Amino acid sequence: MSAPDTQVARPPFIDPTPLPVDIPPVDEVGVTSAPLKSAAFFIGAYCKEYNEDFMLCKNENNDPAHCLKEGRKVTRCAIDIIRKLREHCDKEFETHWKCLDDRNQEYYRCRPLEREFNECVWKSLKLEKVIPGTPQGQEPVHLKTKPYWTMSSMVQLTTLNGGSATL
Amino acid sequence: MASTTARPIPRTQDLPPEGGFPSIRYKRNIPKKGPSGLTLVLGITAISAYGFYRYFQGKNERHELERENMWSRIHLVPLLQAEHDRDTYRREQAAIKREAEIMKDVPGWKPGESVYHTKRYIPTSIWVIPEKD
Repeated sequence: MSAPDTQVARPPFIDPTPLPVDIPPVDEVGVTSAPLKSAAFFIGAYCKEYNEDFMLCKNENNDPAHCLKEGRKVTRCAIDIIRKLREHCDKEFETHWKCLDDRNQEYYRCRPLEREFNECVWKSLKLEKVIPGTPQGQEPVHLKTKPYWTMSSMVQLTTLNGGSATL
Repeated sequence: MASTTARPIPRTQDLPPEGGFPSIRYKRNIPKKGPSGLTLVLGITAISAYGFYRYFQGKNERHELERENMWSRIHLVPLLQAEHDRDTYRREQAAIKREAEIMKDVPGWKPGESVYHTKRYIPTSIWVIPEKD
């Protein structure tokens, strides 16, 4: 018995139609997850107003057509901050996100590089990484001098698991 | 009856040796070694206390790491959602255009009209895609 025609696997349909011309064009951010994760707290700090505006708009109406304008602002702001990070802290940014890329995108495994990156961004752009909701009187986890979870504790684990650990 | 005034016969009775029997050694006779019970209990308590302390330290820090991770995602949500919305809007508009082209001969047909009786946005669940040429 042959399978009906509808079940034959077809290549996924990719709609080639461009965005309607009445929508102003905007570049997409075009960076992968590791640089985004590396820059996340600075995107959050730098684009706070645009982001909040967009999310409030989405809360008002979930229709994609409803918040296109706010969405463009969000994207432009993110592109702007990433460009600035590249301008001022290119080396630190790149080493940090490459480290994240190699290490399952976990911040605690790239703390020394992150510290350098954060310092550079604070010096040049006056943006600080703040984790909301840290308990009162407790050292924020990214500033701990003697953290419980360190790179080395994970290196041991990864070597146990047969993974290759360098750095 | 015979006379009872017979001479008493000397009898040897089973008696303890001179000076009595030696005492029986029923007690364990192992030399004492190792720490005392109290030391053991206190030592194990101390080791466990340190272990629990470190465990909760690690647990609390993992909690904070999780929060850090969560906030990094929260900061990225608007950016990713905006990009996704533009793409969804683009594809929806294209689908509506295709629908209008297909249904142009049906009078009173409104392309892109929601099938639900609500003003709320319902994401498109069934996409009509053009047939392969």
